[in-house]
Amino acid sequence: MTMKVGDEIPELVKHPTTRQLVQYAGAQGDFYEIHYDQAYAQSVGLPGVILHGLLKAGFLGQLVTDWLGDRGTLKTFEVSYRGIDQPGRPYACRGRVTKVDGDQVELEVWGEDSAGNRTTVGAATVGMKG
Amino acid sequence: MNTTTSVIDRLRARIGHDGPPVEAVVEAGHLMRFVEAIGDPNPRWAQEAPPTFLVALAPASMHLAEAEEYGKGWLNGGNRFEYFEPVKVGDRITATGRVADVYEKTGSSGSLLFIIFETEYVNQHGRTVARLRGTAIRR
Repeated sequence: MTMKVGDEIPELVKHPTTRQLVQYAGAQGDFYEIHYDQAYAQSVGLPGVILHGLLKAGFLGQLVTDWLGDRGTLKTFEVSYRGIDQPGRPYACRGRVTKVDGDQVELEVWGEDSAGNRTTVGAATVGMKG
Repeated sequence: MNTTTSVIDRLRARIGHDGPPVEAVVEAGHLMRFVEAIGDPNPRWAQEAPPTFLVALAPASMHLAEAEEYGKGWLNGGNRFEYFEPVKVGDRITATGRVADVYEKTGSSGSLLFIIFETEYVNQHGRTVARLRGTAIRR
């Protein structure tokens, strides 16, 4: 399958819950209280518990690997966290092809909150199988 | 010298020095719990690590107690992974982290302290499988 600049990656919508944040905290081993303790999160100026940046990175990683399948391999993957996200609100992961250079394809990916703000932005490079 | 300057100076003194290596084996049960937490049902992850799994294998940043003297909380600014080889169940990975940079930025909403961490992941064959660069922020 030939790829071209502007091709969109099929959207992946996540519905994170506080339970999922606890699950992720355990699986990653990140027990920073802002991800599961409402009172603690509020004491450091947050509106409540927030998603781990790396959980959002995990969602975007899934977006890319679901789309890529076994057609190639991931070479680089980067994410930048621009805003906080709270559980109980849908989180939409999207992306598109930004460059095609031989068998190397570059993507931009991002995660949007329910108001359409891109709270996580990132990029990936994949090497396509010849 | 005020406290803030002193914290930054002490952190900057760590730049370039490797932290203690952390060794861990990639276990199928751990992979399963990790992808369940993300909600990624791809059967491929029964044998192979998904893109962000390495952060669960070894801490993505070194614990720097003195950084907690600055501000009141941590934020993750970003992560960048570079992949060289797949990571599979049974691999024994050694992660070595270091502080790559420390700097302060002052904006309209106050000052932030940025700590850039780099981690290199080497497998049981001595081959580098991935590198991670992370930005931790104290605010």
